Formats: sequence, C-alpha cells, structure tokens
Amino acid sequence: MNVGHRETADSDLVALAAAGDGAAFHALVERHRAMVYRLAYQFAGNHHDAEDITQDVFIKVYRSLERFRYDAQLTSWLYRIVMNACIDHKRRQSPAGWAPFTEEAELRMVNTPEERPGPEEQTYGGQLGEVLQSEIARLPPGQRLVFTMRHHEGLKLSEIASALDLAEGTVKRQLHAAVHRLRGALTSARVTTGGRA
Amino acid sequence: MTVCDLFDSPDIELYFYHELDARERGRVDAHLRGCAACRQRLDDLRAIRRALASRPVVDAPPAGDWSGFMRRLDAAIAADTSAPGAASVSPRVATPRRGWSLRPALALAAMLALVTIGVAIAARYRTTPAPVIESASQAPAQTPAPELKADPDRSLKVGTAEHLERSKLVVLGLATRDPQHTTAADWQYERQLAGNLLTDTRLYRLQAQDRGMTDVARVMRDLETVLIEASMADKPDRDTLERVQRLITKRDLVVKMQVVASSAGL
Repeated sequence: MNVGHRETADSDLVALAAAGDGAAFHALVERHRAMVYRLAYQFAGNHHDAEDITQDVFIKVYRSLERFRYDAQLTSWLYRIVMNACIDHKRRQSPAGWAPFTEEAELRMVNTPEERPGPEEQTYGGQLGEVLQSEIARLPPGQRLVFTMRHHEGLKLSEIASALDLAEGTVKRQLHAAVHRLRGALTSARVTTGGRA
Repeated sequence: MTVCDLFDSPDIELYFYHELDARERGRVDAHLRGCAACRQRLDDLRAIRRALASRPVVDAPPAGDWSGFMRRLDAAIAADTSAPGAASVSPRVATPRRGWSLRPALALAAMLALVTIGVAIAARYRTTPAPVIESASQAPAQTPAPELKADPDRSLKVGTAEHLERSKLVVLGLATRDPQHTTAADWQYERQLAGNLLTDTRLYRLQAQDRGMTDVARVMRDLETVLIEASMADKPDRDTLERVQRLITKRDLVVKMQVVASSAGL
C-alpha cells in the first residue's frame, strides 16, 4: 500500500496531506504508527487503550497538518502529540471524570503512581521482566514517558527535552526518579525470589 | 552504610545511557573503581536492561493486523468537523508584534503592584469551578454546555481572558520572587498554584488550536511550559526558581499574555 509514497520525505507527505492528499496521510500513518503504538502500549499496558491513544494521536496529527513547522522533525512533533494523548487518556480514565480540572492538578496526576499490583505480587507469578514491566506501568505518567522514550526508543535526553518542550534538567530528574523506582522493584524481586531474579 | 558522592545524583544513569561527556565519564569511571555501591547501581541498570530486553515489543494491534485500526481512523477523520478540509482557516490574530519585544522587566515593573494582591486573587480562583469549555476530543460535540450553544467562540474568548488574568498573577508571583529569600513554604505554595492552573491551560491551548487561534495557542503553550517547570520541580531550591524565572523572561511570557488578551479584544 502507498508504494508511490515510499520514498517521499515526511515533510513532503505532511504538505501533500495538508493539501488533501489522503494517500499521503495514509502513508504518513503507516510509516509512524508502529512507533506511536509502541509508546502508547508502554504507557497504557493493553491493546485496547494503546489503540485508542494511537487513533487520538493521528486524528490530532490530521487536524494539525497545516500547523506543522517544516523545519521541525516530524518525530519530535509526534512525540509531543503522543505525550499529550497519553495524558489526555489518563485524564479520561480518572475516576472523577472532569472533576480533576479544578482541584486535581495535572501535576498530581502525572506524579501519582498507578494502582496496579506491586512487584511482590508479581514476582511469584512471573519473570523479572514482568516485574519490571509492571513497575513501569505503575510509574507516574511523566516518569513513564521519559523512561520509555529513553530506554525503549533510545532517544537522547536532549531530544526528549526538545520533543516534550521540557528543560533537560527536568527530564534528567524524571529519568532518575524512574530508575530509582525500578531499582527498588528489582531489589524487592531479588529478595522475594531469594536472589534467583 | 557510607553514602557516596554520587548517591543522590543521576550520574550513574547518565553514565549508563552514555549521556556524559568524556570528562564527566572519566570522573564517574574513576569513582566506580572505588565505590562498590555505585558499581551495584550500574549492575542493576544492566539487569533492568537485560530483563526488559526479554520482553516482547508490542508495536501493533493483536496479530499485527492494522486493518481494523485504519478503518476506524478513516471513519473518525471523515466524521471530524475540525479537520483541515472542513474547518475554516481563521485569519491570524492581528498581533502587534512590536509589543512582544518590550523588555519583560518593564512589563514586570509596570505590573508589580498587582503582585501583592495577585496571590490572594489567585487563591480565590482556586475555589472557583473550572470553566466549562467545549472540546471535540474531550467532550461530546453533540452535548455542549448550554451557555456555549449560542456563541462558543465568545465563551472561549471570555474563558481565555479570565484564565490569562489569573495565570498572569501567578506568573508574576513566580517572576518577582526573590530566590534568596524564598522559603520552602513559599515555594510550595507557588508550585501548588502553578499545578492548579496546568490542566485548564492545556485545555485552552487545545481549544485555541482547534479553532485556529494561533497566537492564543502559542501563549498557552508557553504558559504551560512555565507551569510544568514550576509545578514539577522537586526541590524548593534557588536554582529551580531561577530557572523558572529565566523561562518566563526568555519567553516574554507576561507581555505576551497581556498583548494576546488585549489584541483579541478580551
């Protein structure tokens, strides 16, 4: 599919899509959907939510085609949209629905660990990788995104900072906090399994 | 247990992820040779990498079948009234660009008098219910709030003006704090105010983007960046406050908020 656009640069695809070329937009989606889905799945931990987030991302891309800055990297732009989509998704899942807009600041949301089984519960039933994956899912959303982008996507901290429009120091602190939590999970898992992990 | 120099720093992570320059890397290398605790931390990171590498990478729907996803995406886009083809492209807000180049210090000085009452007013707003705004992505389009049915653009402008006004007071509070004489309690309060504004700021930005109000969206984005930086700060220290203040200055945020609000006739 979209063989004709296989060699077309991202920026040209954006321009074509913005001019109404549906095939160009499809090519853009096909080129980047795996990356978006991977991040979304890392964030959400299940296919259903990952697909919702991925769809939200590409709808937002479609709406924003005319605002894309052609001197910017499409992937950086996408990362930012993914981050917003993940946070929006998290907000929609909030038990209080729209209520958090008054009192539950986003800060609290992105820094609140998820209510999911901890490493102790997980270790008995699975491997160390599962324990850590579970702990990643329990990280506050901000830490989870930064860790995922650094560890799984291999982005440099400066790239993450640029993509998320954050100070590099903030990104470093988020990564440090995430790794600290994972290290704690690793230690717990080792204790629980008597060092087998 | 002896706590080493690097115990609370991110240096081991940065070393592991090859984020240090050669000089810093050499320094950590030397440290690692003499510090068993940090060698263990490094080993932990390697163990985490190995363990996570064993996990399957999920980058597609089940069975790698994207067909259902693509169908749903096509349908969603076809139904999306704010898509480029469907939306009217709003002309750019006629922003007096010269105003944006005013020295932020002048603007701060002119509005400094507001700061004293600003925190009190901002605190009052904390108890005011958040504005109800229509969002294509976050609220059902067919059930807009009653007050928005008549003129959603007007409602958005009014909401934007109010939000910029209370945000400006918080930004001014941050900008004019003396880092030398800010206590942890003061800083905590500023952080809380910033955090309380963050969600609404993001919503107003999305709304402005959806409606082609480019300049409003840009200011909201700058404001969002400052609020994130302020509210996510984990230490009530002088460096953090100075960093937030540099960000406010660098982006001419106070002046931009003023100019956008007035040029939009708000």
